[in-house]
Formats: sequence, C-alpha cells, structure tokens
Amino acid sequence: MSAIVDLILGVVTSIGGFVEVGSISTSAQAGSEFGYQLLWAVGLAGLMLAMLVEMSGRLAGVSKRSLAGAVRERFGIHFQVLPLAAELIVDVLLLAAEAGGAAIAIRLLTGIGFQWWILPLGVVIWIVLWTCGFGLIEYGIGLLGLITLSFVVSAWQLGPRSADLARSLIPTLPTHHALRYAFLAVSITGATVSPYLLNFYSSGTVEEKLTEKELWVNTVTAYLGTAFGTVVSMGVLVSSAIVLGPRHIQVDSYDQAALMFVPVFGRWAVALFAVSLGIGCFGAAVELALNSGYVLAQVFGWPWGANRPRRSATQFSAAFTVVLLIALAIAVLGFDPLRMTMICVGLTVVIMPALVLPFLVLMNDEKYVKGHTNGPLRNGFLALLTIVGALMALVVVPLEILGG
Amino acid sequence: MLTACTRQDARLQQHKEKFESLGATTRTIAEGWLSGALSETYTHTAFAQTLQLVEQERTALSAAPETLLDPRGATLSQQAEKLSRLLAQLIGDVRAADASGVRRHVAEIPIAPDRR
Repeated sequence: MSAIVDLILGVVTSIGGFVEVGSISTSAQAGSEFGYQLLWAVGLAGLMLAMLVEMSGRLAGVSKRSLAGAVRERFGIHFQVLPLAAELIVDVLLLAAEAGGAAIAIRLLTGIGFQWWILPLGVVIWIVLWTCGFGLIEYGIGLLGLITLSFVVSAWQLGPRSADLARSLIPTLPTHHALRYAFLAVSITGATVSPYLLNFYSSGTVEEKLTEKELWVNTVTAYLGTAFGTVVSMGVLVSSAIVLGPRHIQVDSYDQAALMFVPVFGRWAVALFAVSLGIGCFGAAVELALNSGYVLAQVFGWPWGANRPRRSATQFSAAFTVVLLIALAIAVLGFDPLRMTMICVGLTVVIMPALVLPFLVLMNDEKYVKGHTNGPLRNGFLALLTIVGALMALVVVPLEILGG
Repeated sequence: MLTACTRQDARLQQHKEKFESLGATTRTIAEGWLSGALSETYTHTAFAQTLQLVEQERTALSAAPETLLDPRGATLSQQAEKLSRLLAQLIGDVRAADASGVRRHVAEIPIAPDRR
C-alpha cells in the first residue's frame, strides 16, 4: 500500500516538478520560431531523462549511495574534481536563472522590477531548505507545480491537429535558420537532461530509503512521471507554436511568452502564466540549492540529508547556504534570466559526457547494483548518449554563438 | 565580396525579423489591453520590457557601421527608432487609460512581418 502511495506521489510530483525556467524558455522559443517541428526534440530529451533517472534511482536503491557518492567512491576524488566543479558552476548559474525566473513571475503580477524580489525569494528558499524535510520539499513543491498543467490545458484548448503533432515526433530538417534550429534542439536536450536532476533523484532515493524490492516503484515513477512531465513541456511548445508563431513573435522575454495563454485564459492568462513560471522556477531553485549541498557533502564525505536536523549536518547546511548566496548575488546583478538560462543549457550539454561516462561503468558494476546491472539496451543507450553528448558538447558553443 | 554581401544580408534579415517580432509583440499586447484581457500593470511593464529589447536591438544594429550604410539597414534603423517612440507613447496612453491613443499609436507601428 505504502509503495502504491509512493508511486502516485512520485508520478504526480514528477509532473509538477518537470517544468522550470529551462524547459519553458527553450520550448517557447522552439514553438514560436519553428512551430511543432521541434516536438521530437522534447520527446527524445524526455526519453533520455527517463532512462537516466531510472538508472540513478536503481543505483541509489540498490547501493544506498547517491550518484555523486558512488562516483567519488568508485573513481576517487581526483577523477571527480573537474566534473564536480563544472556541475557546481552550472548549478550556481542555473540557480541564479531559476531565482530570476521566479522573480520575473512576481514582476509580471506586480509590475515591480524583478531584482527587488531576488533577496526576499532567497530568504524564502533558505527557510524552506532549513525547515523542511525531503518529503515536504519534494511532494509539496511537486503538488504546487501541478499548476503547470495549465500549459497542457492551453494546448488542448487551442486544438492542434493530432496528425500534425504525430508527424512532428519524427525529426525533420528545417526549412529556414538551420543553425538556430540545431541550437534549439541541443538546448532542449540540455534544459531537460539537467545533471542536477540525476544526483537529486538518487539522493532522494537514499533519503526515502527505497529498498531493492521497491525498485519497480522507481522504474514506473521514472518513466511515467517523466512521460507526463514531457507532455507539459510539449504543451508549452504547442501553445507557443499556435499563438505566437503565426504572429511572428519570437520569445526574447517572459513577458512575450506569457502572451501564449491569452487566447485560452483571457484575463487570467498573465496570472496563470506567472504562477506556473514562479512555482516551476521556485521549486527548481530549492532543488538546485539542496542538490549543491548534497553533491558537496557526498564528495567530501560530510554528513548529509534533508531529513536530518540541520545542526547535525552543519557542513551540508553551510554548503547549500553558500551556493544559494552566490547564486543570489549573480541574480541580483541583473543578468537577463532568459539569456542566462540559454547559456546554462548550453553549458549543461558541454559537461554531459563527463557525467554520463562514469554512469556507464557504475551501472555495470555488481558491487553497486548487484544483479540489477544494465542490459544491452540500456548500455547501448548510455554509450550512444556519451558519444552524442560529446558531439553536442563540441558543437554547442559554436551553435550558441551563431544560432543562439 | 560575395561572402561579405551574403553575411550582411543575413545580418540584416536577422535584425529585420527581430524588429518584426517586437512590433508584433507591441501590437498583441496593445490588442490584449484593449480587449480587457491584459491588466494595466502587465501591459505597462511588458511595453517597457519591449522598449528595452528594441533599444538593445538598435544598439546591435548600429554596432556595425556598414549595416547603416546599407539603405535597408538605414530604413530599419529609422523604423526601429519610430517603434521606440511609439512604445514610449503607448506606455503613456496605458497609464492615462487612453484607449483611442493606444489604437492610434498601434496603427502607426512601422514594422509588420512579411506574410510568409
């Protein structure tokens, strides 16, 4: 019974926690500039994420170690220094972008400049991190995040032709702006397959004390939750394609993105968009800050856990506090959150191979996953992702300059 | 020479599309406000944000002097300047709740997207 409840909560929170600043930005831009044509990229990125999340949960469920902890133990600190530093830099920048996104959501509602909201938001994020256990953070934010289903409602109400949607799930070459198209395809992948999600998920699996017998819960949650979450991202793309595309509005700001809700939600449009954006970004900011604490504590061997009293895990608490402060300082300087998001998703792609390669080794090491090692299909997927990730890492910076 | 021309064409096309997008954004926001779907608070800040984006794009356009020497670039620059002025006027119109002023200024938006 408890496993069923966990499963339902897991799937529901996966839906509510899926959409954040990266997925909204990239999907909205893709829809407004290329119609449904990049829907395949959202679907493919969702599939990649589901497989990686399932593996990180399986690793944590069997070995009782998070991804960062297992990599540290298997490969040693020297191997991990560079990927760790890269992941932390991306996490800090993404945290700044998420805080900026949440602050812009409040600006859409109040008209008061977004920088004014960064520090109050930072205080709220820190209070949540300091006072709440893992379950409350994960499920509370996930349930609130169900508001993002408004993107699906919007897309549904706008009535796209299902044949067109189905056709768009097969990759096709663009008719215009090929570099921009490629950049957005890579960015959608970077926005969806965020490295922090994998360690956050595996740390959560350890915190929630998932047993080997309950691995099926992990599998169903990973695939079903991600599938539904991907549908929300597709809702953003489809709404943007139907409303903004024909008007030739390219999304360069969240104010423009909010317009995609007007035909369906009328006078509630901006409020609904702002709340969806705000909760999505706030939830991701909390998770990112918490994950930074997880990663640093797991790598340096400090006591960690959102379910522990914070005073018994002082270094872990100090780690997420410092990371949060650095990110808030960057956000308050006034960088455009949307541009920062696009830079972050590019950087995510750059570091992806370094994070996926150790995964391939760990998921085949019986010391960690016992009899639950990867089969040929999953190994093939990881190997392919490492190769494709390396290729994307090579092209993403030129693409960002030429097509970003 | 041919490559330089092609690069210049591509750059101008990119600026043109960006200004068209900002013009269309201005028109859509104004129509939303006139229909009552968009609040004064949002409309005001969205116009201000659009004005900022127009100014950024104008700066980018004028960063390459050869772009302004091209007649198409010069026209684009003038249209962008007019769009900036109109946005400033629209902000004033919305603050004064002047619907007829908004209608008049929206009709003057100089950059309309090509029917592709």
